[in-house]
Amino acid sequence: MTVLMLVVALLGQSPAETLSSQAVEAIQRGDSAQAGELWRQALEKDSRHFASLFNLGMMLHRGGNFAAAVEYLDRAAAAEPGYQVQVLRGSNFQKLERLEDAIRAWRAALALQPRNVKLMQVLSVEYSRGRYFQEAAAVAQRALLAAPQESNLYFMAIKAYQDAGDQDAAAGLASQAAVRFPESARAQFEHGYYLQKRGKTQESLRYLRRAMELDPKYEEPSFFYGDLMVKASKWKEGVEALRQSLAIRPEYSPARVSLARGLYGLGEVVAAIAELEMAAKLDPKNAQPWVLLSQYYFRQGDEERAQIAKETSLRLRRENPTVLEASQARPFPAK
Amino acid sequence: MSRLGWFGIGVCFALTTLGLGQGVATRNSPAAPRQAPSGKPFGAKFEDVGKVAGLNLPVTVGNPLSKKYIIEANGTGLAAIDYDLDGWMDLFVVNGSRLEGFGAGAAPTNHLYRNNGKGGFVDVTKATGVAHSGWGNGVCSGDVDNDGDDDLYVTYWGSNLLLVNSGKGAFSEEAARRGVAGTGKQWSSGCTFLDYNRDGRLDLFVTRYQEFDLAKTPPPGKASNCEWKGMPVFCGPRGLPFGSASLYRQEADGKFVDVTEASGVGAVQGFYAFTPIAADLNGDGWTDIYFASDSTPSVLLRNEKNGKFRDIATETGVAFNEHGFEQGGMGVGVGDYNRDGLLDLVKTNFAGDHPNLYRNTGGGIFEDAVLMAGLGVNPHFVGWGVAFVDLDNDGWQDIFQVNGHVYPELDAVGKAGEAYRQPRVVYRNLGDGRFEDVSGLAGLGVAAKHSSRGAAFADFDNDGDIDVAVMNMGEAPTLLKNGLAAGSRWVKVVLEGTRSNRSAIGALVTVETGDLKQTLPVLGQSSFLSQSERRLHFGLGGAAKVDRVLVRWPSGEKETFGGGVAGSTLVLKEGAGRP
Repeated sequence: MTVLMLVVALLGQSPAETLSSQAVEAIQRGDSAQAGELWRQALEKDSRHFASLFNLGMMLHRGGNFAAAVEYLDRAAAAEPGYQVQVLRGSNFQKLERLEDAIRAWRAALALQPRNVKLMQVLSVEYSRGRYFQEAAAVAQRALLAAPQESNLYFMAIKAYQDAGDQDAAAGLASQAAVRFPESARAQFEHGYYLQKRGKTQESLRYLRRAMELDPKYEEPSFFYGDLMVKASKWKEGVEALRQSLAIRPEYSPARVSLARGLYGLGEVVAAIAELEMAAKLDPKNAQPWVLLSQYYFRQGDEERAQIAKETSLRLRRENPTVLEASQARPFPAK
Repeated sequence: MSRLGWFGIGVCFALTTLGLGQGVATRNSPAAPRQAPSGKPFGAKFEDVGKVAGLNLPVTVGNPLSKKYIIEANGTGLAAIDYDLDGWMDLFVVNGSRLEGFGAGAAPTNHLYRNNGKGGFVDVTKATGVAHSGWGNGVCSGDVDNDGDDDLYVTYWGSNLLLVNSGKGAFSEEAARRGVAGTGKQWSSGCTFLDYNRDGRLDLFVTRYQEFDLAKTPPPGKASNCEWKGMPVFCGPRGLPFGSASLYRQEADGKFVDVTEASGVGAVQGFYAFTPIAADLNGDGWTDIYFASDSTPSVLLRNEKNGKFRDIATETGVAFNEHGFEQGGMGVGVGDYNRDGLLDLVKTNFAGDHPNLYRNTGGGIFEDAVLMAGLGVNPHFVGWGVAFVDLDNDGWQDIFQVNGHVYPELDAVGKAGEAYRQPRVVYRNLGDGRFEDVSGLAGLGVAAKHSSRGAAFADFDNDGDIDVAVMNMGEAPTLLKNGLAAGSRWVKVVLEGTRSNRSAIGALVTVETGDLKQTLPVLGQSSFLSQSERRLHFGLGGAAKVDRVLVRWPSGEKETFGGGVAGSTLVLKEGAGRP
């Protein structure tokens, strides 16, 4: 009975579809070579056969043969310009580091599914990678409007606006997120972060402290809290918070640099220098520990080491011009 | 099974392989919050009297509507000098040029305006022999030949000028003859006279912004460093060849020897240099050099007392901001804003950043106190000329800063919050380490919007308060008359070196009034590529007199002089005081 039904079904299929179905069976058996051959045969029968083009492209993509996949995926998109083929094309272009082509493909996919929040997230991230910050912010805002209940979309939009240089918009969203998600450490932190950026130190401290309470394993609030304390010459409180931050993320260089400032303020010069040396070791591309080391060696009267540290900082600055541009160098939560 | 058996897998794969990490955050310093107003009255009101006074000739610096190359953007300086020794500060204005050039005889020249002592200026450019054309940039003055009058040095994209004052109302150009003209192809920006080796003769320090070759510079929008917030603009400075600096030592015959390499100055590289200042920043009695650099670390050349210099800007905290970021440094002011007897620095920077208030903590170690001091409130301005200057004669040095963006195109595209023409800002010193923005109280001349660059500070009308001459791109200079009401108290101090250079550039003067001390240096160039008057002006607040004046001469000698009553000018000659 089953064999009969299959024969009947096969009798209703085109030759290309029959071959394609056999290819799917082959891939399910784990025989990708056979599957590939069958899809190619299908395409000889019908060069615009979508399923064969798409699946062959997918197989090449999954096999890491991204350049070869382009042709089949482009042809698939030309045959049937649907959502899924555009998403896959975007992913494939991304692997080939053809960011603009990837963005175009994903944008086409989004036009087909205009409320697809996941895709908006992808697009926002990739716009940012391409330094299309305004576009990243716009699509992040769109995602947020589509799903305002998702805190992660707030955080993405905040970051996008920050990258776009629109601090007011970023701060506004952070403020909204803090109200909407009172139990979210990240939301409380983001609001505190923008408050401190605007010099509203006392207000900021409240939110940073709340974030520290909500999630003691979250390193950013501790860093910014400690950093504000150090800037206010409250050395002990600063050092304590910064040590807490570094216990979570030891390679967090700005926190260690700030800790060194705090220790220097407490008169613990040797400890301050040791922290800077550790920061330089853990974050070898960052010039900032070397800048401060140069200053502390100089104040100790060791001009020779100060000069070496300065030259190291200048070399690192030349070699890694973007590292220092990460103002206040937020690592953003790893989780 | 679907004919597209992998669809679900494929889409999931496509989405999960994308990292969600984003790009690097850009620095875009927001305005720091303003403190509650102190409520104190601010008596200094500035009014632009430039046109009435006769300063009518515009300064040309490239195309006024669109800048194709960076050479068109940086503007020029001016100098307040008393060239004819009549007791009234005259004004020298550096002029630029344009890329397409001018017809024969039509090129703009520098201008020297003689102060007639009646509120007016007379153009004496031709009569005094200073009608030079070319792409001028900065100016500094000093008594190069120690004959008692001010000479001028003018920097160019091209050969520089040394205009030697005959003392009889005319200048002669002697740069090539004396060895300080440069190669003729360099883009010199700043200059300052100084006596770095204490031989009593003025030496010369010259900065160059960059090695600029029109043929090798990409046009707007054609390289990665040729955009500003998505708008194609002129390229640079990043991506273009760095500038350099030169030190010339004056010999007994009045000629200069290039000691750039021998002095160690040539070893310092990797900067786009603007305004240099020469002052004893670490209090060791020898004149050091600091210069603001654009988009690169600023440089502090410590005088090693043996004819050599060493850059210690990073070590001492004046190369970067407090976070170690390079800044778009433009102008520099030197003073003692907190009256601790140590020289502090204020440096202006590009937009999206704060200026620097480098507080000297002793021994030439500095901390950037800009935010604590309340100076982070106007990061949207591109700052240029700047000075510590007691504008209201209350005995505390305030800060005056002129501004202007570099892209005239901003006005056309209307980017929010950014404009080519920007107002000036005035920060009143509150006397407790903080400043407050009192621009709104300081008169229409401060509120007026121009794209300004150089600023020279002087008491042009000799009424006891400091006025400001400002260079404006494509416009005539502004002369901001300070309308501080009569009755405020002040003294002026004029130094005459004997063992030291006669101009006393590099000297440090401390005026004591009761328990209060105020300190100012005698400077060559400062502000932005400009020369302010070298008569030192001290507001006295309520004090009726100065008790005594301490002078540390550039020769290293220290002397104490008797004081004087408010409203007087004290002329102090080296050797005439008490050791």
